[in-house]
Amino acid sequence: MKAKKNPAAPGTGKRVLTLLMPYRLLILSSILLSAGAVALTLYLPVLVGRAIDCIVGVDRVDFDEIKRLLLWIAACAGLTAVMQWLVSIIHNRVTFQVVRDVRNRAFRHLQQLPLSYLDRHSVGELVSQIITDVDQLSDGLLLGFTQLFTGIVTILGTLGFMISIKPLIAGLVIVLTPLSFVVAKYIASHTHSYFVAQSRTRGEQTAYVDELLGGLKVVKAFGREARAVEDFDAINDRLETTSLKAVFFSSLTNPCTRFVNSVVYAAVVLAGALLCVSTAGTAAVFTVGSLSALLAYANQYTKPFNEISGVMTEFQNALACAGRVFQLMDEAVEPPDAPDAKVLSDVEGKITLDDVSFSYDKSKKLIENLSFTAQPGQRIAIVGPTGCGKTTLINLLMRFYDVDGGAIRVDGTELREMTRASLRANYGMVLQETWLRSGTIRDNLILGRPDATDAEIEAACRAAHAHSFIRLLPQGYDTVITEDGGMLSQGQKQLLCIARIMLCLPPMLILDEATSSIDTRTELKIQSAFAAMMRGRTSFIVAHRLSTIREADVILVMKAGKVIEIGNHDALLARGGFYAELYNSQFSESF
Amino acid sequence: MQKLFSYLRSYRKECVLGPLLKLAEATLELFIPMIVASVIDRGVGGGDKGHIIRMSLVLVALGLLGLGFSVTAQYFSARAAVGFVTKLRHALFAHIQRFPYATLDRVGIPTLITRMSSDMNQVQTGLNLTLRLLLRSPFVVFGAMIMAFTIDATAALWFVAAIPVLAVVVFGVMLLTMPMYKRVQERLDRVLGTTRENLNGVRVLRAFRKEQDECGRFEHQNMELTAAQQRVGKVSALMNPATYVIVNLAVIGLIRTGAIRVQAGILTQGAVVALYNYMSQILVELIKLANLIINITKSLACGKRIQSVLDIQDEEQVQSGLPGGDPSVRVEFDDTAIAYGGSAGEALSGVSLRALPGQVTGVIGGTGSGKTTLVNLIPRFYEATRGRVLVDGVDVRAWEPAALRAKIGLVPQKATLFRGSIRENLLWGCRDGTLPSASSAEDRPIQDKDLMEAVEAAQAADVVAAKGGLEGEIEQFGRNLSGGQRQRLTIARALVRKPEILILDDSASALDLATDAALRRAIRALPYKPTVFLVSQRTAAVRHADQIIVLDEGRVVGLGTHDRLLETCPVYREIHESQFRKEAAV
Repeated sequence: MKAKKNPAAPGTGKRVLTLLMPYRLLILSSILLSAGAVALTLYLPVLVGRAIDCIVGVDRVDFDEIKRLLLWIAACAGLTAVMQWLVSIIHNRVTFQVVRDVRNRAFRHLQQLPLSYLDRHSVGELVSQIITDVDQLSDGLLLGFTQLFTGIVTILGTLGFMISIKPLIAGLVIVLTPLSFVVAKYIASHTHSYFVAQSRTRGEQTAYVDELLGGLKVVKAFGREARAVEDFDAINDRLETTSLKAVFFSSLTNPCTRFVNSVVYAAVVLAGALLCVSTAGTAAVFTVGSLSALLAYANQYTKPFNEISGVMTEFQNALACAGRVFQLMDEAVEPPDAPDAKVLSDVEGKITLDDVSFSYDKSKKLIENLSFTAQPGQRIAIVGPTGCGKTTLINLLMRFYDVDGGAIRVDGTELREMTRASLRANYGMVLQETWLRSGTIRDNLILGRPDATDAEIEAACRAAHAHSFIRLLPQGYDTVITEDGGMLSQGQKQLLCIARIMLCLPPMLILDEATSSIDTRTELKIQSAFAAMMRGRTSFIVAHRLSTIREADVILVMKAGKVIEIGNHDALLARGGFYAELYNSQFSESF
Repeated sequence: MQKLFSYLRSYRKECVLGPLLKLAEATLELFIPMIVASVIDRGVGGGDKGHIIRMSLVLVALGLLGLGFSVTAQYFSARAAVGFVTKLRHALFAHIQRFPYATLDRVGIPTLITRMSSDMNQVQTGLNLTLRLLLRSPFVVFGAMIMAFTIDATAALWFVAAIPVLAVVVFGVMLLTMPMYKRVQERLDRVLGTTRENLNGVRVLRAFRKEQDECGRFEHQNMELTAAQQRVGKVSALMNPATYVIVNLAVIGLIRTGAIRVQAGILTQGAVVALYNYMSQILVELIKLANLIINITKSLACGKRIQSVLDIQDEEQVQSGLPGGDPSVRVEFDDTAIAYGGSAGEALSGVSLRALPGQVTGVIGGTGSGKTTLVNLIPRFYEATRGRVLVDGVDVRAWEPAALRAKIGLVPQKATLFRGSIRENLLWGCRDGTLPSASSAEDRPIQDKDLMEAVEAAQAADVVAAKGGLEGEIEQFGRNLSGGQRQRLTIARALVRKPEILILDDSASALDLATDAALRRAIRALPYKPTVFLVSQRTAAVRHADQIIVLDEGRVVGLGTHDRLLETCPVYREIHESQFRKEAAV
């Protein structure tokens, strides 16, 4: 998996900073503002302390001074609130905009990545890089950054104020606080193993639920409900035990650190009050107001420590996520079209493969020395067992992958000497794996020709025998379908994909098992439309129904990356080779 | 939510004790400012050092006692939360097991999986936090107010003034932001959906040169997401500064009132410090409370979603008093029709059919013609909306579902296997590894011989051999097998039960034609002569059946033997010719 690679490579932090560069002024002002807010927050107890010192007893109350101090307190509180608010606003702005920028860039990058990369990575993994990892990056890095910053300022500020009030008591607090750190660390390190156990058992349960609910119809068909519940309960009970340990032990952190805090608090009370008594009447009097301020600080002082230890783990997590996002953005994009690349137009459809070799895994040979010419308008069927290289050939023709050796030419021009866009614009492709996007039926049909009129769309759908079922959908052509077509059957989805191509009719066609899910009767009905579509267009057809293939001008019989037989149906049958064997197996059956 | 809470009943003790102990801890905390006040007034004011030392020790003792209370409280609430969710998970899982197919179709499996996993986790976290904090925070807030009253009623009025204002701010911000957060989530889902869709359709999109359009689409949605995030950010940014100002205004008021009251000789300096400390405690608790409430709202939403699944009462009921039919007919459809929930038209209508013991019935038709629907009516996976289906002369609705399904071996269209050994998978339909027979006295343990017979009939002997025998491991969803291998094992699984009725729902689609033919021969030769329903798209697969029912868009358009249908049924002839037309020409 990716995580093992330690994606938080050196330099990740630096790159995060470059992302933040455009916002440096905002960030700088946010730092200054939050430093100001923290300082004022810390200053407030001092003011309150002074005010309290003005309230000693009957006739020992300095109302003028109190009034002055209270005005100060009001001003400070107001100013602090404004600063806090500004910091939040700036922070939101920077965070969300950085996230937006990173996502846009990552997505744009994705559009340029070669299929060789995308095919090797699962969709879930890439989606989580663009969505989850980027979220974590913003949460962890930016939020973490401000929290860390304010935390440090708070600690330093508190220390400063405490020292300025009474160095001795400040020293006492400094010595005692690490205790809470130690306690928290001790608990965290011991609960870690419980958390690991919990997430492992949880994963096991999710997998079981996934499998059993996914196959629930089979469970019911075999009357296995009771047994399924029993097995589930076994995992469920184990989860209860591990979960209880993890939840309980992790929840000890707060009470324990709170206890340490109360010890610190008691120590400050003790030392402070004794100081008040012993200095009473002397010049270096330690007032009750100072004590009250110190107590407020003692309460505040330990909080940022707990926060910071939390922030640090989030920080590391965020850096790891940033690393993964950068890794994606560092992947080499498809080499751009050559500057003098031709724009392919007025295609006749002569396609030449000249000594082509290619493999996905360079250590395992796949296609080797493949040479062959398709004349304009020819129908070329590609036949062969699974894994023989049919789909690979399509990848090369569409230039989803570049050949390793040799050359593919269209009308005499090498693929690498023309723009990818113009090459692909001249191919119409229907794949076995139908793909429809979420949107209306119409959106899906006009993918290749956004300017098609309603009449044209309907004509294409009639030809593809899709009109009759589209008409019956709740909103006809404007029915919204979910990704993967939801309510449509596999066969109907294939009909839509065929209609999509019939609407734009490019000069060359690639039909990869285009009718595999359509029942034979419907297939027969659209045969004529298919024939009309292929007339005058160089077409590559992959199919396993040999009846579809026999009308091809040329049949390429492939096996293990090589073309082992080539010719038309009759010639190949007469030859009595691999093709003849395949063909005969289809019709030699009897019950 | 009532049903949900009923699972909490066995944790009544924990649910009461946990919060109570938490309250005890909070009460102790409320004494702290009082003790500090006495240190100031009696210790500092009276110069009583002994009192200062004693009170400091009391503070430590209170901390220790508080630690004891809260650790016990944490344990109770963890136990209640974890135990409750464990029970709830069991209940939901068992409940889902009882859903009929129609409910599963309507609710959707992915939804149910989310309910079982992430929703449950959120409920656990929410309940745990609730037990720990829900009582504590308001208690501290109001407790602080009450303590203030015990010090001085006039000064305490500042608490009475501040608390409602604070409540309005906290709840106001929350009420305002909750729908906004929901919108953010929706927009995030949309961005996520677009990304996934883009990756899934990368070949088609690149073939249509849509890269630029896709970037535009993504950037637009991303911008909308950012806008929503910023909007909610602006509102929630108000919370902290506003509460800060309110609390400090109250502090100002307190000090002013305090000064006047001290001057009048009613209050002491220590009492003013105590009042100030109570006000500070409120600020801290408010922030905790706001976080807690966000968490609780989330958990409640998840709890409601779980509840909504538990509320579905779609169990198959055994009905009595239904008229019977001819018991010598194994399966009978009597003018049966079905309409799926939500769609207006009938997916299947006018089916009348009798299958005698040992007969083979072919079911043929195009995509979406209703073949699977027809055979799913036999085990009562779906219920007929009109007419009836009888097995052994008894309406399927009068059968105990388990007993009915024990007679049937079903091979579904989609070959699904489960993690475990091949043996475990084959024994799926056999409770305790015995062969259920009509009378339970004849139950006998299944031997390897029985398993291998089924495997051989299903043409799967080579699959078993390739995986290293019956103990060979199968991965989740049967991922380590090819489509054809999976199909043959699912057939074997159905055969192990020696079913009286065998349903093969287009279950040979991934087999090559020779294997398919051998399979059909083997099924014909089964010694226990099951009544077979054979669903297929191809006439070659059904041509030797005793009777063939031809479906077209949910209607029966032909019923008879192959030869007769070729003469009388144009749809059947068309299907046949579409598959064999060239043979005639050659």
